Amino acid sequence: MRALLTGLVLASSIAIVDAQRGAPPAPPQAPRNAAPIDLTGYWIPLITEDWRYRVVTPPAGDYTSVPMNPAARKIAASWDPARDEAAGEQCRGYGVGGVMRLPGRLRITWQDDRTLKIETEAGSQVRTLAFGGSTVAPTADGDWQGVSRASWDRPEGPMGSGAIFGGGGFGAGRASGGSLKVVTTGMKPGYLRKNGVPYSASAVITEYFDRFDLDGGDVLMVVATETVDPTYLSQPYWTSTHFKRQANATGWNPTACSAR
Amino acid sequence: MEPDRLLGTMTAVAKDRWSRRTRAIALAAVLLAGARTLGQAPPVAAPPAQASSAAIDLSGYWTPALHEDSTERGAGPEMADYSGLPLNEAGRLFALSYDPSRLTLRHHQCDGYVAPYQMRALGNSRAWEERDPHTHQLVAIHWFSQTFEGKRTIWMDGRAHPPAYAPHSWMGFSTGRFVGTALAVRTTHLKQGWFTRNGVPESDQATLQEFFVRRGDHLTHTVVVTDPVYLEEPLVRTTDYARQPVDHQNWLFPCDDGEQVLDRAPDNVPNYLFGQNPGVAEYRKKHPTAQSGHLGGGATIYPAFASGPPRNESALERPAGGARVASVAVNPEPTDGEVHVLRVRDNVYMLVGDGGNIVVQVGAEGPFVVDTGTGRLADKTIAAIARLSSRPIQFIANTSFHADRTGGNLKLRTSGADPSVRGTFFSLQFPGAGIGATIMSHQNVANRMNNAKAASDAVPTDTYLEERRRTFHNGDAIELFWAPNAVTDGDSLVHFRRADVIVAGNVFTTTRFPFIDVANGGTVDGEIRALNDILAKTVYEHQGQGGTLVVPGHGYLSDEHEVVEYRDMVVIVRDRIRALVRTGATLEQVKAARPTADYDTRYGALTGPWTTEMFVEAVYRTLRK
Repeated sequence: MRALLTGLVLASSIAIVDAQRGAPPAPPQAPRNAAPIDLTGYWIPLITEDWRYRVVTPPAGDYTSVPMNPAARKIAASWDPARDEAAGEQCRGYGVGGVMRLPGRLRITWQDDRTLKIETEAGSQVRTLAFGGSTVAPTADGDWQGVSRASWDRPEGPMGSGAIFGGGGFGAGRASGGSLKVVTTGMKPGYLRKNGVPYSASAVITEYFDRFDLDGGDVLMVVATETVDPTYLSQPYWTSTHFKRQANATGWNPTACSAR
Repeated sequence: MEPDRLLGTMTAVAKDRWSRRTRAIALAAVLLAGARTLGQAPPVAAPPAQASSAAIDLSGYWTPALHEDSTERGAGPEMADYSGLPLNEAGRLFALSYDPSRLTLRHHQCDGYVAPYQMRALGNSRAWEERDPHTHQLVAIHWFSQTFEGKRTIWMDGRAHPPAYAPHSWMGFSTGRFVGTALAVRTTHLKQGWFTRNGVPESDQATLQEFFVRRGDHLTHTVVVTDPVYLEEPLVRTTDYARQPVDHQNWLFPCDDGEQVLDRAPDNVPNYLFGQNPGVAEYRKKHPTAQSGHLGGGATIYPAFASGPPRNESALERPAGGARVASVAVNPEPTDGEVHVLRVRDNVYMLVGDGGNIVVQVGAEGPFVVDTGTGRLADKTIAAIARLSSRPIQFIANTSFHADRTGGNLKLRTSGADPSVRGTFFSLQFPGAGIGATIMSHQNVANRMNNAKAASDAVPTDTYLEERRRTFHNGDAIELFWAPNAVTDGDSLVHFRRADVIVAGNVFTTTRFPFIDVANGGTVDGEIRALNDILAKTVYEHQGQGGTLVVPGHGYLSDEHEVVEYRDMVVIVRDRIRALVRTGATLEQVKAARPTADYDTRYGALTGPWTTEMFVEAVYRTLRK
């Protein structure tokens, strides 16, 4: 009987492969329609971690927790907000490396079927997350938010994602749910923290956005971030930042960048 | 051929393993041919997309990334830094009262971490799966942490959480399921612990929702702690882990308690009176730019706080005037009109439901019962005991004369029998001897019941006057220890020595401030002595939990940790009221000062037979004597 079942599984798996080969490829769904999770709406940060470094601008020299290398410490030691203001760079702390940790809401919308847009209260920044095929060109020298390429990261199903002999196990199909993966490069140098902890233009920032629906109706969004920057970091810098979904725009009040 | 028919035919003719395999392959070939044909003719009914969840494998070695809150998680938080914690008044005042020297107390030295803090702690963790050896279904996921040897079990087999009167532990009781990208976990039955190591409390009423998301060698853990006792709103924290390729082979965290401060009085629990925590001034001096908000609170975790006017933190160092707060804790006692049975250990059981916990020990002799509840469900209590033992109840011990300890005496005694006195000279003198169970207690219980004109058959007849009464029954040494002038002047603690179970009566409950019955000989210092007497007999099993089990008069089955937290509470409240008494404060002034403010959400009552004000008054009056 067991061998019979094995045979059935083999047979049906091969059938699936053949069916897929025989059918004309279906047009890919637009990322908006294919979204495994809905991240749109207003999100308010719950600042329960690194509070002293996020709610207020920490004093110069307080870089606790950030794996800075000596070059970064040298840069940070010369932090001068007045100089940033004079250079028109008061948004250095609001770039993609720091803005998600600042005390401000997010508004997430679909700019089009292939582009998610994140607007921030803090510093009135706009991030555009472009899915494959979408074209969002960076500015000539890159801007504070850089170029973000997005994709849906779906978990594998209970028996693996690939078809038989495809290297992924016996299973077919994907599990429910998923995450938003965003890889950002090409940004202007900025601050991981507003007190001058630097990241460079060559940093690569990878983010995963997850949504969790809680008992009682609240919805959380957790953004797990890895910042890789050999110029200023001695190891990848990992943070995870959490937001609670708001029912509406209540309290939405974008503010200008402040270097202080 | 129809597959089913083919299957039936094949099954019928199969004679041995090899023939089955051969025929199965043949069947597969037949099906394959059909499938290929179908596959060439779109549209094809491909297998429906299974909206199933991923089975996330956490197995391996994990090291926490300390890129967030590294000081707090590493060297330790500064005193009076509660920033980022949505504490309510009770949580904040509890923390401000906390003196780190409390950890030098014997019964706190090996306190473990509660699950949410364990997940934030330093040190490596190891995860592995437990699978049914026959079905290979996932039974549980285990998570072991190096620091304090915290071991979590996340049950994946769909089992239900225990009842509210079941014991609590550092890691609580967790069940999980896979949801989308995450392992989602729910946890109940946590012990009281802390959110941060500077005394910010997490109560035993806290419950958790957690999400584990793994991406390759990166794991993100999200926890949502709901704790109505000490939080204004749920606390959300996220922690990242990196997977390690090898076992660092360093998993133990030994701890044994010992004397750290000699000649300290047993009723000394280090604490700060309201407004006198020196850490507050130290913090403000060190962090002038982050003063506003350092004492935590729900509003402080939102962006508006960052842009708003500075908050007056000093006003938060003492209880708010005029507030009257009741407990928000779940009542662990069932109110469904049934008597529920929980096995405590070996042959000792706890019966819950009749307005006060009852303990039953069974064995080759008749049951030994400690306390009889209110008696409203006495018939059901008798029936429950009959399911545990075919013998009639032989002994009843009363820990106090109060109605929730003795209410079922008459019925339970009448239902029982004490064969140990039949046929003795005693039975020749008293023909009724042995008909009915024998009731034991301290003599003062009998005195007060007689004074209250209780039914004579409900009154203890086997009494003791000093220190202890001892007996050996059902294979165990049982001792009744007198706890003079605790709740009353006749309280007993009952210790089943082999089972290592202590029945505390109303000296210890998990549901209310101690019912110090001043009119009947109760005193706050006697209550503290009695709690310390319990602690003098307990031995924890591991990291401050387990080992000796303590049955409270009301509430859930406990161990020494619950007793020590309760003892601390009584001492701290006593210290505050004593300090006020020494200033000449009147009872009304003492009440207005809210000396129980950090415990009201856990134990307080505004109405009912034992309110917070009654407790404060009882302490005040015994200190004034």
